[in-house]
Amino acid sequence: MIEDDIYRASSQYRLWSYTESSLQSLRATTNAVASERVRAALRRSRETHQSTASSTAGTPLPESNTEAKNKDEKDVECLTPEEELVLVRYYCEKTLELGETYKPPIPTMVRATAIQYLRRFYLTNSPMTYHPKSIMACALFVATKTDNYYISLRQFADGIPGDTTTDDVIAPEFLLMQGLRFTFDVRHPFRGLEGGVMELQAIAQGQGQPAPHLPYETAEDLQQGLLSIAPPPVPSSSMSDRIARAHGTTRELLKSAAQMTDAYFLYTPSQIWFSAFLLADRPLAEFLLDVKLGGPVTATIPAPETDENGLVNPLYEIRSKLHHVLTECSTLLQSYTPLSSDPAQMKSLKRIAKKLYHCQNPEKVNLAAQKRESTQPSTAVQSDTGTITSESETERLAKKRKLEQEQIVRQNDDVFGPELVTQRTKQ
Amino acid sequence: MASNAASRRDEDEVCPVCKSSRYLNPDMRFLINPECYHKMCESCVDRIFSSGPANCPVAGCRKTLRKNRFRKQTFEDIGVEREVDIRRRVMHILNRREEEFDSKRAYDDFLEQREDIIANLVSRIDVAKTEAQLQKYAAENMQSIRTNQAIEAEEASSFQARMTLEQEEARLRRQAVRQEYETERREIQAGREDFLSRLASGSSTDAAAIAREGHKVLLKKSSARRSEEERIRQKQAALRSDTKRVSNLSAVEHAGGADTGLVKGLRKIKTPEPEKPYDPFMGYVPEKRDYYALQSYYPSQYLDPIRNDARMLAGGYDLREYYSRTLLEAFAGLSCFVGEEISQRDANISKSTATEGAAMAVESGENTA
Amino acid sequence: MALSPFGSRSPSMTVHSPNTAIRLRATAAQKSFTEPASAAVSKPVQNGDRELTEQLNIDVRERYVKDKKVGEGTYAVVYVGHLRHDPSSLVAIKKIKVNAEYKDGLAMDAVREVKYLQELKHPNVIALHDVFSSKDQNLSLVLEFLPGGDLEMLIKDSDIHYGVADIKAWMGMLARGVWWCHENFILHRDIKPNNLLIASDGEVKLADFGLARSFADPLFNMTHQVITRWYRPPELLYGARQYSGAVDIWSMGMVFAELLLRVPFVAGNTDLDQTSKICEAFGTPTEENWPGVSKLPYYIATDKAHLVPLQGRDFFMRQFPTAGPVGADLLMSMCALDPRKRSTAVQCLRHNWWTIEPRPTKNEDLPRKSGGTKKMGDDLTRRGGELDEGMFKSAARQLDFGMK
Repeated sequence: MIEDDIYRASSQYRLWSYTESSLQSLRATTNAVASERVRAALRRSRETHQSTASSTAGTPLPESNTEAKNKDEKDVECLTPEEELVLVRYYCEKTLELGETYKPPIPTMVRATAIQYLRRFYLTNSPMTYHPKSIMACALFVATKTDNYYISLRQFADGIPGDTTTDDVIAPEFLLMQGLRFTFDVRHPFRGLEGGVMELQAIAQGQGQPAPHLPYETAEDLQQGLLSIAPPPVPSSSMSDRIARAHGTTRELLKSAAQMTDAYFLYTPSQIWFSAFLLADRPLAEFLLDVKLGGPVTATIPAPETDENGLVNPLYEIRSKLHHVLTECSTLLQSYTPLSSDPAQMKSLKRIAKKLYHCQNPEKVNLAAQKRESTQPSTAVQSDTGTITSESETERLAKKRKLEQEQIVRQNDDVFGPELVTQRTKQ
Repeated sequence: MASNAASRRDEDEVCPVCKSSRYLNPDMRFLINPECYHKMCESCVDRIFSSGPANCPVAGCRKTLRKNRFRKQTFEDIGVEREVDIRRRVMHILNRREEEFDSKRAYDDFLEQREDIIANLVSRIDVAKTEAQLQKYAAENMQSIRTNQAIEAEEASSFQARMTLEQEEARLRRQAVRQEYETERREIQAGREDFLSRLASGSSTDAAAIAREGHKVLLKKSSARRSEEERIRQKQAALRSDTKRVSNLSAVEHAGGADTGLVKGLRKIKTPEPEKPYDPFMGYVPEKRDYYALQSYYPSQYLDPIRNDARMLAGGYDLREYYSRTLLEAFAGLSCFVGEEISQRDANISKSTATEGAAMAVESGENTA
Repeated sequence: MALSPFGSRSPSMTVHSPNTAIRLRATAAQKSFTEPASAAVSKPVQNGDRELTEQLNIDVRERYVKDKKVGEGTYAVVYVGHLRHDPSSLVAIKKIKVNAEYKDGLAMDAVREVKYLQELKHPNVIALHDVFSSKDQNLSLVLEFLPGGDLEMLIKDSDIHYGVADIKAWMGMLARGVWWCHENFILHRDIKPNNLLIASDGEVKLADFGLARSFADPLFNMTHQVITRWYRPPELLYGARQYSGAVDIWSMGMVFAELLLRVPFVAGNTDLDQTSKICEAFGTPTEENWPGVSKLPYYIATDKAHLVPLQGRDFFMRQFPTAGPVGADLLMSMCALDPRKRSTAVQCLRHNWWTIEPRPTKNEDLPRKSGGTKKMGDDLTRRGGELDEGMFKSAARQLDFGMK
């Protein structure tokens, strides 16, 4: 189909479409590489710490403390890919909330773009390396730039509750863009849903037109067909009312479930909205599919014909494959429940956040500070290679970072809800 | 000295068959036959071959000769005569053109091969085999040989035509220049007479004004003439480009054959058909859709205010563009089965990776190093 | 089904999908894990040197070699480069400078250019092969190498003679490029002769997507401060905030006129001057010939005495005799004052001017000029919406990117 080839040209299809297994193995690789780096970084920081401790004699650390710390670092337990995913999802939900705090709220499409940026970024980056809370605001800011809703950085930073600085927002921009492989276009299912609904409304009003490959149906046939479908899950006063209701339900699903699951990686935008539409009003969605592809369920269309070459009608083949794919996608969308509304999930999230506190890569914690360093060549530390030129300098910086890190942790906890604060302050 | 020697030889010349000499028969003409190149006088040819093919009368030569193949010798040296004949015959058959080859190199190889064949035939090496090759090639490539001959003939005649055209143009130009000179002279003459008569008749008229006016008229006339000349020149340019196009067409028309056993490096496919009409979309079909037929109106309460927003519409905002986009996005990718297609694509890439081998191994090696 | 023109975008044709690069790494990692202990110890450390995402970027960067600088502006530096494994495969590498004055991260020009070029693949749109970042956090765009200069260069060079068949060929390529953008719901918003670059085979390519944006959604305001003044349509001069593909069609019409006349057709010194020059040339917009025009923010009513009537077909035929009556008709359809009456890109391409005599010149026979690489370098370093000459430098506008 021509429309499908048009989609195949998009960067979303070319670079950001996966099979379930390739997605899984990619996440596993990312996690393995990041875990290795975290362990190495912790080892390095411990070594520096020890050497500086011995050099600055006179104030030796209490032995028990050092031992405990060493033990702790040796056995540092890294996040699993599954745990990383839960964490990222939580911050995707937070992105949605953050967008809501602006006046006027940032449009749904822009927020959805930001969420997909986060999800794409964390395919090749680990939350252990870059904490999602530091990436999240940047993702939303970049989305305002790429989706024609540009807000100045100052204005944007002011809109974030708490005292997030412009530097905090912009620091990871380059990193984020690199993680996005410099593809900024995200194809959403929202506009497609509008198109589908417009088609249905036209058919309901007797103004519909048949699909190019099924040209024998008249506007009246289509209208009659629509009026004779099975009743909706919730009774409605008129067909156009029913369509509007399904439209609303679908839109909500697309704003939430479609954003928070792997739907964008595994399916195309049109498949996603159709799947959500099936959940909202199955008979209505199936009617539209039947109109477009000829369905096995409609009596007016003859059973799958075979042409002179003995080949199955290609439309029928597509229709049955599509049935399978849409069912899968619907199941995926249905499986989603917001983390914040589910105590069991919240509990596990807290556990993961606690775990992350111990396995956060210390060399990547403060991006804003790092960015400043990278633009100041006088600084004697090359953060990327860990090459050390001056021990005391390194130590000073490490301390500074630690301070900054704690400060940021506190700041951001203020911003993004109280749930995580309790366990952090315990530390 | 040279003329002396030549005349002496002429006088001494004797027909090897009838032994009559030029001294006795000053009008004697010698003929040769490219079968064996044995020379004999015209009367011998008449005598021996008038009643049909016969053997060559020269001792030891048993070649069967026909009268109609006898001709005058062009070159004094019979060896040269023979080589030129062979060359002409081989080139007549092996008449591939440069544009039929994949590369300059392939064409050069062909030219070298042709020289080898000629040399073999001239120096009588592998004659039977070479002749057989030539015959086989001629039989298999009759069509292309004929078209190439036609092109050569056409080129020769179009060269002639061009020469004639250029001469004709030059003649026209000369004539035009002469004419222009004549008219200008006549106009100046007439203008001067007019000017004088007006000066003579009009007592109150300002002489300078009249002079200016007369000058202006002249200028206008010559600029009109110039634009006319321009028009003619353009016409001629158009004519020239037309003839160019015709010859291009005929060049496209001839089709090259596939590789033959003898000639290598020919271009595989030629485009034999005449130029297709220009397609502004270059093969794309605009606005063609498989899932839906775009309508010019869709009912939507959400869009109704826009339909009546004079300012938006005056700015050119067009709801049809919105329809077109939403409908496209509603169905684009509906039957892209990502799971299936992506795993296939990955498999293909890894396959090509395996065959590409070394290059990729180096790259992945760099990555891990 | 129509043909599917969507091939691989990268000239290297090797690793492009992240999946592949990752698989390569994954297998390498696996190997090291199954190897003897000594190797297993050393390798992961090396592996751990870079995040996966950095490695992907380096893989792309390593594919190219920069050869020499061919242009430098305040906004970007352009180099000619080539694929590491194939020195004959030339590319242009546009390195975008980090702007110290622009505190909001990557500049909007670059964001737009990268976003839209990643999605467009067409013979008449400059190809973006790859994007990578360098160590100093600069963005590099690997673009198609276009050594043939641009249309402006050909228009201005009085030594170059071209005819209507050549113009038809160039306009055809321009119209296809614009059509493809609109087909993908992208407005270019800066069409002008020096953004139309020429490839070595003579193909014209639409370049500089620094002002591009996607369109068609209602109720989102767009900025009217786009498109270089001489090529800006009247609705933008009147401050329209919602508009359509018609804005690019106007620019296309202006390029067409300029190709025919060899000077810009309506060249105003200020935005106001531009508006009045358009009125003089094409007629004064009124509620009669352009319903609703008086509701546009910057519309100024002209008093009846100075009203120029809307120009008809005979005006275009008189003004542009070289185009012929059919060509003049196409030009007129691109220059309708009311954007709703202007032809769309598809309608332009369906005009019968393309198929009548003379046939468009073949690419290989089009007039060309040397020194194009330098011109490409200059063109690619320019910021969107700027005129080349210093003529209007004093009047340089502040582009308003805010679109709320």
